[in-house]
Amino acid sequence: MGRRLLSILIVSVVLAGAVIVFQYWSYRARPVIILATTTSLYDSGLLDYLNPRFLETSNVEIQVLAKGSGESIEIAKRGDVDIVLVHSRTLEEEFIASGYGVHRVGVMYNDFIIIGPKADPAQVSGLRDAELAFSKIRETGRLRRSFFVSRADRSGTHLKELEIWQSLGLNPSSSIEPWYVEAGSGMGVALRMANEKQAYILTDRGTWISFKDQLSNLKILVEGDQVLLNPYAAIPVNPEKHYHRNFKAAVIFVKFLISDEGQRLIGDFKKGEERLFWPMARDFQMAAQLGFPDQAKEVSWYDMQPFQFRQAAVPVAAALCSRTAHSYVTARSEVEFDGAR
Amino acid sequence: MMPLIEASHLAKEYGTVKALEDISLAVNSGDFFAIIGPSGSGKSTLLRLLGLIEPPSSGKILFTGQNATSGSDDLQLRFRREIGMVFQDAVLLNTSVHENVAYPLKVRKKPQSEIERRVKKSLDAVKLSGFEKRNALELSGGEAQRVSLAQALVYDPKLLLLDEPTVNLDPRNATIIENTVSRLNQEQGTAVIMATHNMQQVQFLASEGAILRDGRLVERGRISELFDSPSTFLSIFGVIGNVFEGESEVGPDGLATIDIGAFRKIEATAGKRGKVTVLIRPEDIIVSKEALQSSARNQLRGKVVEISQSGQRVRMKVDVGRQFLVTMTRRSFDEMKLELGSLVFLAFKASSVNVV
Amino acid sequence: MNPIVDGLVRAFWLLISFDPEVYSIVLLSLVVSGAAVLVGAATGIPFGAFIALRSFMGKRVLLSVLNTLTGLPPVVVGLLVYLVLSSSGPLGPLQLLYTPQAMVIAQLVMVFPIVASVTASSVSSVDRKLRLRALSLGADGSQLTLTMLREARTGVLTAMVLAFGAAISEVGAVMIVGGNIRWFTRTLTTAILLETELGRFGIALALGIILLTLSFVINVALTRLQWSGLRR
Repeated sequence: MGRRLLSILIVSVVLAGAVIVFQYWSYRARPVIILATTTSLYDSGLLDYLNPRFLETSNVEIQVLAKGSGESIEIAKRGDVDIVLVHSRTLEEEFIASGYGVHRVGVMYNDFIIIGPKADPAQVSGLRDAELAFSKIRETGRLRRSFFVSRADRSGTHLKELEIWQSLGLNPSSSIEPWYVEAGSGMGVALRMANEKQAYILTDRGTWISFKDQLSNLKILVEGDQVLLNPYAAIPVNPEKHYHRNFKAAVIFVKFLISDEGQRLIGDFKKGEERLFWPMARDFQMAAQLGFPDQAKEVSWYDMQPFQFRQAAVPVAAALCSRTAHSYVTARSEVEFDGAR
Repeated sequence: MMPLIEASHLAKEYGTVKALEDISLAVNSGDFFAIIGPSGSGKSTLLRLLGLIEPPSSGKILFTGQNATSGSDDLQLRFRREIGMVFQDAVLLNTSVHENVAYPLKVRKKPQSEIERRVKKSLDAVKLSGFEKRNALELSGGEAQRVSLAQALVYDPKLLLLDEPTVNLDPRNATIIENTVSRLNQEQGTAVIMATHNMQQVQFLASEGAILRDGRLVERGRISELFDSPSTFLSIFGVIGNVFEGESEVGPDGLATIDIGAFRKIEATAGKRGKVTVLIRPEDIIVSKEALQSSARNQLRGKVVEISQSGQRVRMKVDVGRQFLVTMTRRSFDEMKLELGSLVFLAFKASSVNVV
Repeated sequence: MNPIVDGLVRAFWLLISFDPEVYSIVLLSLVVSGAAVLVGAATGIPFGAFIALRSFMGKRVLLSVLNTLTGLPPVVVGLLVYLVLSSSGPLGPLQLLYTPQAMVIAQLVMVFPIVASVTASSVSSVDRKLRLRALSLGADGSQLTLTMLREARTGVLTAMVLAFGAAISEVGAVMIVGGNIRWFTRTLTTAILLETELGRFGIALALGIILLTLSFVINVALTRLQWSGLRR
């Protein structure tokens, strides 16, 4: 009997040890927040560039989830992430109105461009009017001379595309319009599809720059329209709805993004020779134009938050249990949260 | 002297089928007890009950005077560990012969040195030294059965239960097993209960016996008594078997040729000379419509003279000069399209001929 | 360059160059699937043996349910586990979502029915007479179970090989509950997915080759265990 008991004991100890080692291995010694963002922003590499700098100054680790704008906001409402960085005004406003998002602030912008086949059957090349371009594409599409690929995934890009169609009073659907292809996928996949089919497609400039070498059939046709401007907003999750999320660290991250240093870093980020993003957090006029009427108020709220902190390392014992420990230890203190939207 | 194991009004039912009814017997240390009976008489069931690996439907079993049937699980386990069993077909573990024989000792948590010693002794006893590393599932039927016996002996059981242990074996392996068991019983006083239908085994090995038929005990007593009163003993056998008087002559190779009258001679492996009584079980006889080329030494031609059916079995009397009782399944009977007067061949092995 | 050749060359360089990101991805894949299979075995094998050896009411129903669960698509498992672990879900306060622990849990849910049902079926197919034999040789209850398990060992090992193969090659569950976070919850399969979306087929293929190699090596190792177990 003694030997059996001993072997059970040894096995339990080994298992417990393995679990502890596993926990320790996935242990984060510093506070961690999860950021949900769009695939196009993630693929651009901006965050991989910014996050290490942020880590140095604040000792907060950012874990990035790349989903579309729509999905990012959905999971934020569920309380699975601490902050979102997305580019879809309608969804963002709905997010704030629902009470789950607070203190929306514009961080930077870039633009969308319309890409198309080099042959350009719809003859939109050089136009600076996106709506006009879309309607021409549709005309030739109905004549079976061109195709248009849509993201069709509720991403920021997709929603912008739908906005343009809607301003023409249109709502195309692939079931009745064969020239309109709903890809239901990320930007890269959609671009490659457009390349194969020699179709027109709306994309953000950043992704185009990354992928253009693979897209030999396509080129930029339409750019520069005001409506094609693409601003990105940062919105932390409301701590009163999800008290276990690390609101304080999320706020600090936004402070970093809209700080002089952060804005400079964003502006300096290049792929090859090309700049991908334009900072606009402190340009209140631009911000208002881009759909951030409360920018000044929000920026001053962030500036008012009294800390640029280096948070202490979380005790090992606590972190070995789960991320919950992080959150409970750090979440609530020191933030002057005034419940403002 | 208190019996080592005592059964009292044992009964066992499987659903509505009564396998055993009102069985009572007692076996002392040093006894060699034979349980004799045709197939289906319940011998295997009785042994499983006595081995305490299956509970009876009613009745009780006393082991060394204590109630084993209503005892605690621990008590039953203790008694079970004093009993060794060998089944008709050897069931061995998928590992080496050594590990198989060591298994009962490991289960009893014996120290390694003792295990080594006992395993070696046990394998020697069944003449399988040198087989330690072979995989048990690769052995022949006879070798496997010897390993089975070695397993049962390795922990020096007080009681050994054997269920027709040699029925599927060649004579050489059968002899080794019989000798080992006999030696154990005589030199160490181990009680043995063996179910068999082999009369030679009963006669040469057993001291006591009981006859089982259709789940009931019909005779019990010392073997000499049972054999000395042929009427009680043989008549039972006669109803269910073939009994002939004959004159036996033994050839140089050990095989006996027995003249049973009507110019019929049959061959048997038992080497007895002179006036003998011969018993052949109907189940050991193969019926065919044409002459078979087979290992059966005995082949007789005859005519079907009587047919009777009961359930799934058909019994026939075939006249080959003497009348033989044979049996087969309904299906075989239908397939062979036999009827009164059909010409058939009867075949049976020399080893199936029981000689007393 | 032919993408396949490109992939092979890259795979080679990635491994030789000790690229830390690749190593972290490989290590995470092994640890997550390995942990899921180990825990799945520790729980599934006794469970399967128990079902096989005892008779109880509803035994057949339970076996059918288990068999059906083995066919659960990993992505569905991922979705269900996500809903449970989500902050708005019942286990929300544990904050397990988007961690390697969540990935182990999701793969465990996938693996457990496989191990349990294959174990149950191989233990059942062990000769019934063996049970009586082991009893007659003096085995008690737990020794009996262990002996039956040991006789069914090839089947049990097969269960584990199957389970590990399923775990390490699935992408749906670990993607949904892990989130493919760089350096933290990115496994070989989710990394391949990402690289393919980015159009970096060379890297994707390289990772695919690494995954296949790993799978192959582990399969060979486990199969050798199976064979050596056959002839002890």
